[in-house]
Amino acid sequence: MATQQTRRRSVTKTHERIAQLGWDRDYHQPVPIYDTRYVFPDKAKDPMKQVMREYLPMQLEKDERVYGGFDAALRAGMPTKADERWLQVMKPLILILVYAEGAAGRCMSVVMDVVPNDELLNGYHVQFVDEVRHIGMQMGLARWYTKHTPDPAGWHNGQEYMADNLITRAGINMFSHSFVGDPIAAGFTMMTVIETAFTNVAFVALPDVATRNGDFIQATTYSSVQSDEARHISNGYATMLTVLQKEENIPLIQHDLQQAWWIVHAWVDPFIGTTMEYFSTDRSDNESYLVKWDRWIRDDWYRSYVEQLGKMGVTIPPDMFDRARERLVAGLHHKTAPLAFATWPLNFWKFDPLTETDFEWFEDKYPGWYDEYGATWEAYAALADPEEGALLLGGFMEGAPPFCWTCMLACVIDDDMCHRTCADRHGEDRTRFYCSPECRWLDETNPGRYTGDRNYFDKYHGMSLSEVILKQKLLRPDGKTLVGQPHLNPDRMWTIDDIRAADFTILSPNITSAAAMGLPSGSWHDEGDPFGAVQADGNGFQPVTLYGGGAGHDGGGRGQSGLDDLAKAAVGDTPWVKL
Amino acid sequence: MAGEVRAGERRKRRGDDPERSFQWITPKGRKASLYEDVTVGTQPSVYTFLASGYTCSFPDGRGTWWDDSTGVDVVDWTVFRDPNELWERPYYQQGAQCEKEIENATRSARSEGLYADVDPAWVEFLRRDGQVQAFVEHGIWSIATRRSRAALADTLTHGIVLYAAVKQRQAQAFVIEGMDLDEDLGDFQIEAAKARWTGEPAWQDARRVVERLGTITDWGELIVVTGLVIEPLLGSLVRRELLLRGALRAADPLTPTIVRGAQRENAWWNDFALAFAQFGTEDEQHAAANRSLIASWLADWEPEALAAVDALEPIFAGAPGVDFAAARARVVADQQALVAAAGLVAADPVAAA
Repeated sequence: MATQQTRRRSVTKTHERIAQLGWDRDYHQPVPIYDTRYVFPDKAKDPMKQVMREYLPMQLEKDERVYGGFDAALRAGMPTKADERWLQVMKPLILILVYAEGAAGRCMSVVMDVVPNDELLNGYHVQFVDEVRHIGMQMGLARWYTKHTPDPAGWHNGQEYMADNLITRAGINMFSHSFVGDPIAAGFTMMTVIETAFTNVAFVALPDVATRNGDFIQATTYSSVQSDEARHISNGYATMLTVLQKEENIPLIQHDLQQAWWIVHAWVDPFIGTTMEYFSTDRSDNESYLVKWDRWIRDDWYRSYVEQLGKMGVTIPPDMFDRARERLVAGLHHKTAPLAFATWPLNFWKFDPLTETDFEWFEDKYPGWYDEYGATWEAYAALADPEEGALLLGGFMEGAPPFCWTCMLACVIDDDMCHRTCADRHGEDRTRFYCSPECRWLDETNPGRYTGDRNYFDKYHGMSLSEVILKQKLLRPDGKTLVGQPHLNPDRMWTIDDIRAADFTILSPNITSAAAMGLPSGSWHDEGDPFGAVQADGNGFQPVTLYGGGAGHDGGGRGQSGLDDLAKAAVGDTPWVKL
Repeated sequence: MAGEVRAGERRKRRGDDPERSFQWITPKGRKASLYEDVTVGTQPSVYTFLASGYTCSFPDGRGTWWDDSTGVDVVDWTVFRDPNELWERPYYQQGAQCEKEIENATRSARSEGLYADVDPAWVEFLRRDGQVQAFVEHGIWSIATRRSRAALADTLTHGIVLYAAVKQRQAQAFVIEGMDLDEDLGDFQIEAAKARWTGEPAWQDARRVVERLGTITDWGELIVVTGLVIEPLLGSLVRRELLLRGALRAADPLTPTIVRGAQRENAWWNDFALAFAQFGTEDEQHAAANRSLIASWLADWEPEALAAVDALEPIFAGAPGVDFAAARARVVADQQALVAAAGLVAADPVAAA
C-alpha cells in the first residue's frame, strides 16, 4: 500500500489565509437592512478560527452520536422506562428551545448585516450553521418522543400549540429580542446573556435532571448542543471586545446588557425553574434551582464575566442582577408554577400533582415552602379527578395577578407589580401592568417593540373555558378528551363535557385588576384588529429615543451620533430608577 | 376482532396514529418526509400559528417578520419545499464527504507523485488565477448569510443559510488547495490571488457584479439572481468550464475533485432557485405579478453577469486546454434552459455581449 502522507495543516495558518478572503469594496458598498446605534473599530479578532475542513467532519461525528443515540434509546426501552411526568414537560420545553435555536441563528444574520469587521463574520456564520444543526437535532428528538413515548398527545400539534400557548408564547417574545431591533443589542441578548449565562442551566443542569428521570436521550441531544455553545460564547465575547474599543459604545453596552439580562431572566428563570423542579419525579438531586443558579449564573457568569467588564470600562450596576436573585429567593418560580398548573386545560401537556415526596424535597431545599404553597398543591391534587367537577383555575382567576406587558408572564411578586396608562391607536387610555419596574423600564425605553395582542386572556374575557379549548383545538383525536390533563392517570382523563359541566367563564386578570383599581381598561384586545390594539401603529414609535436623537445617520445604516446623543439613548426618556 | 386489534397496532407502529405524527405539516407527498418533520413549522408567523400577532417588533414598525422583505408574493409561503430536501444531517454528510474526497485526492497526489505529470502551463495558470474563484464564492456567502433571516418560511431560511454554508466551504476549499500546492509546488499565495481579484482588469466585471450582490435587500431576489443568473453563468463558467475542464486536460489530480463537489452543491442550489421561481410564477393569485418581477430581476442582472463572463476571456486565454467560446456557449445554453424551466426567458446573450 502506498504511503499516505498525513501532514497536518496548521489551523492558525489556514485561518490566516482564509481571513484574506475579505476585501474593500470599490464598486458597490453593502446595503444593510437593519440599523444599529453602535460604531465599530477597524480591527477585530475572530476567536473561533473555524475552518470547514475541520468543522464539517467534527459536526458529522457529533451528529452520528446523537442520531445513533436515538436508536440506542429505543433498543434500551427508554420510552417506557423514563419518568412520564418528566416526558410530559418535554413537549413545551423542546419546542420553545427549537424556536430559541432559530432565534440564535437569525441573530447571526442581523449581526452580520451591521458588523463591518470581516474577522468576525466567519464565526457568526458558523454559528448560524450550528443553529440549523440544533434545530434538526431537537426536532428529531421531538419526533422521537412523538413516535415512541407513552402519551404523545400534544406533540402531534405541538408547533401550533406552542405558538399561542400562555407560557411558551412569552418565550417566543423573549427569544425574539435576539433578532429584532438593534442587531448588537440583539447579539448581547443571545450571545452574552442567553448563551453565556443560561445555556449552562438549560443545556447542562437540565439534562442532568433529565438523566435522573431516566431520560438519557434528552441529555445526549443537549450535551451535543452544548458542545457548540462554547464557540457561540466566544462570538459574544469577541463582539463585546470589538464594540468596547469605541468609547461612545460604552453607555449603549451598559444599557443594552442590563435590558438583555432582565428580559431573559424574566422568562427563563420561572420557566426553567418550574420545569426542573416541578416536573422531576426523581428527588435525588441535592441542588435546588437556586443553588444551580448561583453556581452557573452568579459565579460563572456574573462574577467571572460581567464584573470583569469593569476592567474594560463597562460598569454594570449590580442592581439588576441582585434584583433578579431577590425575586428568585422571593419565590418567583414557586409562585408561577401553581398558576401554570391551574391553567392545565389550556396547555398541551399533562401536569402531574405533587406528592408527599415532592413536598419533602421542596421543604428541604426551600424552608418554609410548605407553609406558603403546600395547601395550594393539595387543593390541586384534590381537584385533579374529573369526578370532583371543579377547577382550581376557578379559584385562581378571581384573585389572579395580571400579566406583564413586557415579559408576558404573571405579575406574581406583589411588591414589584406596577402599571402605567397609555393611549391605544384610537387615542383611548388603557392600562399596562408590569411584573416589575424593570419590565416597565424596558417598555418605556423601547417604544414600538412590544406589539401584538399581548395579554393572553383579554381576547377570551367572558368566554366559557370550553369554548376557548375548542378554539385552540386542544382536544385529542377522539374529539372529546382534552390534550392537557391535571394528572397522569389515563383512566381518569378530563373531557370537554367535564369542562362544560364545571361551567367556568374566563376573566382576564388584566381587565379585572384594572377595574378593581379604578384604572382605565386593562384590555388591549381590539376586535377590529386580530393582532391587537398596538399592532401596526408602531405604538408611538419615536426614533429620537432609540437612535440617540436620530441625528447623523450616514445613509449606510450606521449611526454617527455624538456622545451626548448616545448617552441619552442609553437611558432613554425614563432613566433607570434604583430600587 | 383479534385481526382488527392487530391492524390497529400495526397502524400505530407505522405512524398512522394521528397522535404519533406532526399534524401541523401538510406534506408535499402522501406522508411527511423526515426533512418536513424537522423543518416545517419551526418558524411561526402571523399566518402560521401566531394568532395574536408578532409580540416583538422593530421600532420602524416591521414585525418579527415582514411581508415586504421580498417583492415576491404568494398565497402561502409555508408550502415551499426544497426539492432536494436538504437539512442539517445530509448537509453535514455531503459537506464532510466533499472535504474527505479533497483530502484523499491531496494525499494521493502526494503519495503517488502525481504532481510531476501536471502540465507546467496549467500550474502557472493555477498560481495566477486558481484561487481567485474563492473571492467570488466568499462574496456570495457574505450576502446570502445576511439575507437568510428575513425569509418568510423555515424551508426558505434553511435553504439560504445552507447555500451560504456551501459557498463558504467552496471558498475555503480553493484557498486550502492553494495552501497545499504552495507546500508542494511553491508560490501559491493568497495575497497574489487577492491582488488579481482586486486589480486584474479581466476579473473586475466579476468583482463588480459580486459586490453588487451585497446591495440586494430582497431575499427573494437573492435566490433568483444567484441561482438562475450568477451561478449558472459566472459560477459554472469558472468552476466547470475553466477549472474542471482545464484541470482534467492538464492531468491536475486535485482541482477536479474540488470542483466536482462544488458543482454537486451548485446543482442543488439551481434546483432550489428554480423551485422558488416556479413557486412564485405558478402561485394561484400572484403568478402574473411574480412573473413580471422575476423577469425584471433577470433582465436587470443577466447583462452584468454576461459582461463578467465575457470579460474573463483573457483569463481563459492564459489557461491551457480550454476554449472560451465553447465554454461561454455551454453556460449560456444551460442558463437559458434553467430560466426556461421556470417559464421565463433569459436575456439575449448576443445583445448583452
